[in-house]
This record gives sequence, structure tokens and C-alpha cells, in this order.
Amino acid sequence: MVIVIVRCVVASSGKAGFSGLLKDLGGRILRSADHETRRIASRYGYLDYMIPRYREILGDLSEVVEMLEAFEKPLVKSVRINTLRFRDINEVVDRLEMLGYKLSKIPWERFSYVIVEQGRVPPGATHEFLLGGYYLYRGIASLIPPIALNPSPSDRVIDNAAAPGGKTTHIAQLMGNSGVVVAVDVSRERFRALRTNLERMGVENVLALRTDGRRVPELFGTYFTKALLDAPCTGEGIIQLDPSRKTKTVFDDLVRAHLRQVQLLLATIRATVPGGRIVYSTCSIAPEEDEFTVAEAIEEAGNVRIVKPDIPLKLDPGITEYFGIRLPEELKYCGRTYPHRHGMEGFFVCVLEKEL
Amino acid sequence: MRPREGVVRCELSGEELHRHVERLYGKEALEALVGYTPLYCSDGFTEVYLLRQPLLEAVSLLMMSGKVPYYSGLYAGRIRDRKPLFIPSHLLAEKIYEHIGRSVRAFTASEQGIKVLMYGKDLLKESVISCYEPLEAGEVVSILGTDGRVYAIGLSEISKCSELGKLGKTQVIAQTIFDLGWYLRGGTIPREPKYRV
Repeated sequence: MVIVIVRCVVASSGKAGFSGLLKDLGGRILRSADHETRRIASRYGYLDYMIPRYREILGDLSEVVEMLEAFEKPLVKSVRINTLRFRDINEVVDRLEMLGYKLSKIPWERFSYVIVEQGRVPPGATHEFLLGGYYLYRGIASLIPPIALNPSPSDRVIDNAAAPGGKTTHIAQLMGNSGVVVAVDVSRERFRALRTNLERMGVENVLALRTDGRRVPELFGTYFTKALLDAPCTGEGIIQLDPSRKTKTVFDDLVRAHLRQVQLLLATIRATVPGGRIVYSTCSIAPEEDEFTVAEAIEEAGNVRIVKPDIPLKLDPGITEYFGIRLPEELKYCGRTYPHRHGMEGFFVCVLEKEL
Repeated sequence: MRPREGVVRCELSGEELHRHVERLYGKEALEALVGYTPLYCSDGFTEVYLLRQPLLEAVSLLMMSGKVPYYSGLYAGRIRDRKPLFIPSHLLAEKIYEHIGRSVRAFTASEQGIKVLMYGKDLLKESVISCYEPLEAGEVVSILGTDGRVYAIGLSEISKCSELGKLGKTQVIAQTIFDLGWYLRGGTIPREPKYRV
């Protein structure tokens, strides 16, 4: 049975909206678990509620197993050469190749290479990395949000929930160290890592502020021409990095994460000028943290629309129906990656534009 | 890092940085600061950042709401009330050398010497490839790699390059007070102070 929820009806349901629908969803998902989904959950060590969700997202259980197998393999990493300090990309690439690395250029990101084969020393322990600032290494998908943001040297960018700063330094690099990037995060420990990254990479155009991201409009008003919210999430796309994610997050945790993400996204939207671009992303494949968050925020904000990300990379479309709940059709313009389909971590990205 | 976060006071005026830069690197080094406004943030000691115009506007906007940045622009270094009175950041030192087209108050170290420095060790005579005056015992020096980049800031043990010839190969030429390896040794929670003075 498909439950069709017309947007105007949802809006009239007051504060419940898409967030409200989530609260009842956990029980329904668990009830949809059957012998086969429980068997797969047990075999790979996941909680029971997770597998029916993956079946709902991917379509059939054989592909679910493919994805779970991909989560068992090490994460494919990329290196982003830091052109803020080292202008000659080839010099850094040559140095890594001399250390036994096999690198392959990422066609859609001009500073980055996939690590096809790791050299004699791990990327976090090479002399080049230790010397500071030659490169940063990350999962490939984490390169997507700054590319989707497409900042120019004259932009004023807010990077909300910025620490430890991989995307902040990427944005600064794309802007050629010009313009303004305000990097906000609330976590003290992660903030130290952010500062370290800014100093090591030679970033000059960032204002780093330790505060709750929800306070950004109060502090800056409507100031930013571009905004990134790579939201704190449960990490359901990076189980390769954190296998404990298979069992540590119950459905209610997802709902709590979603509610916080909505608040952060609304604050980010409020701080963006009319006509400005907002990129929302997570390292999670959970629709509860992705499409439901965007749906709730655009519903509540009332002045943003989803636009297609302008990146030369084929992403899977966003989900528009989930366990019978119909989400706004425009969510199809959001993008998803899966480890077994894209060879990178599971990721979600959505580009919004604030109406003039 | 700041020991007592939350009581930091920042000001967008002052000539102190310029005085230190001129004292250490000469008048021509001041040109490297053109186009930047210094931001002084004090909390027991003073950290200095250099801001270009668009960032200056954002920082001013923030400060109008009673908040101060945790970090902003180009980190220029730390001003202290005892010697060394100013510890330049590696980024500022590099910018100055790039601007004046030569190295001053510096030693170039061998690749092996730099590797050792990255573990927080001091610079030994045997690692020194070249020496650039002026120098002053107890005052800051940059320690460069053969690529010309600044990998550490130290305190010189000598006042003239000619003194190098009189020293044994394992004698300390510069006591390292900050090196780029610190960032990674410390991880996200510094296990050692950033500056060893």
C-alpha cells in the first residue's frame, strides 16, 4: 500500500511535517523485516531494522548483499594536492609515485587523485605528509560537496559543521585563498584539528568560529553567498571506516540526528542571501538523514528550491518514496553514492537555491 | 593553543607586529604585510593574524556581535612579554622570504636533519647546509629545507655564521621551538605545547 501525502497536507499538519512522519516509521520498518532480511543482518552483523531499509533503497536483496560486501572492503582513498603551498601538482605526484604509490587522476576534481595502490608507507605517514601541507587524503566522495558548491574567489561562504576542515581547506583552495570562508563548529576537540589543518595547508581566507551552527544567522545575519552544511550524521555511508556503525545506531538515534540536521540546515539557509546556493551533504545513506532532512527544511523555510548539482559525475538520484511515504518529487535532483556502485563511500549531496 | 578559551580579547589595531617584523627581518620585510590588517587576540599571550579586506569585513561583523574568532586569516605568530618577544609562524617567515627574495635569520638543513626536526629534536651542526645572517644567540631563526620552505622555528645558539666552523658536528645550532611535525604528533589534542618556550 502506498501512502500518498500531498505537500500542502503535510504543511498543514503543522510542526509534524516530514520529521513527524519519521517518528512512526521505525516500527513500520521493523515490522517489514522478514526471515531473509534477518538472516542477512545476522550474517553481516547489522541491526535488524537496517536491512529492510537497504532493500527499500536499492530494490532487491541481492544488491543489498553487494553493498554489504563493499562495506567489508577498505575504503578507497584519494589525495588532494594542496596547491595553496605547492603550486606544482606534478612534483607532489612524482614524489608519491617514487614512494610506490599508483595514482589515477580524478576527472571531475582538478587537484585530486585516487590511490589505486598504496605505496610502501601509508598516506598519513609519508615524509611529504608529515612535512606539512603537501596533500590531504580522504574518501573520494568527500570531494563532492565543495565541487557542487562551486565557490568563486569573490564569494562569502559559510561552512557549517566544518571541523576537522577537509572540506573547508578544499573550498579555500577552490577560491584561491581569496574571498571569505567562515568555518563554524561546536566541538572543541574537532576544532583543534580544524585549526591544525588551516595552518598546515597555508589557508588565509578562513574565519574559524567555535559556536553552535544554529547561531550563525544571529551572528552574521543574511551574509553568505554560498553555504555548505556537511551535517554531523550517523555515518551510515562509511561503515568501512567504522564497523561499529552496524550496531551502535538505533532508529531513534537517526530521528534525533535528523532533527538536529534540520535545525542546522534551516539556520544555514537563513544566513544565505537570496539567490545564494546551499549544499547539504552527509556521509550517510540513511534517507532519514538525507531526503527527509532536506524535505523538512525546504518545507519549513519555504524560500528554497532544489537544483541539479552541476558536477561531471554520475550520481544516483535522491529518493522520492520511502516505505510508502511520498517525498517531494524535486528530491530526485539530489545525488547519492554507494560503495558497490560508485567505488566510494556512501554519500548524499543536495544543492539548494534560495529564491530571490 | 589558547589555554583559557572564552576570555580571549581581540583588537583590529596596533603596530606591534610591524615593529617585530622590522626588527627581525628589516624594513623591506614590511612590504610583505601590505594589504593585510593585523588582528591581535590576547589571552595571557598575544596571537597575531593577518587579514585581507573581505575577511576583515567578516571579522568586524562577528566582533560587532561580541564574539571573537578562534582563528582567522594567515596566522602570523605569537607576541610574548619575554624573550623571544615574537615567534613568527612558519607561514609568515615563508611569506617574508618570498617577498624579499632571500633568506635571513635562517639555517638550511639537510633532508635527514629535517626528518629529525619533525620529531621535535633540535638542529645539530652536522645537519646545517647553509647559514643566513643576521643571527643573534637566543633569538628566533627559521629552519629551512633544501626546497626553501620553512619547516621549523628555533632559537639560534650562535650570533654569526662564522661560529659554525668552531663547533662540533653534534652540537646544537638551534633549539627548535616549533616544527611542522607538531601538528601530527599532537593529533587533535596537543600532547605537548606548541612552542617550547
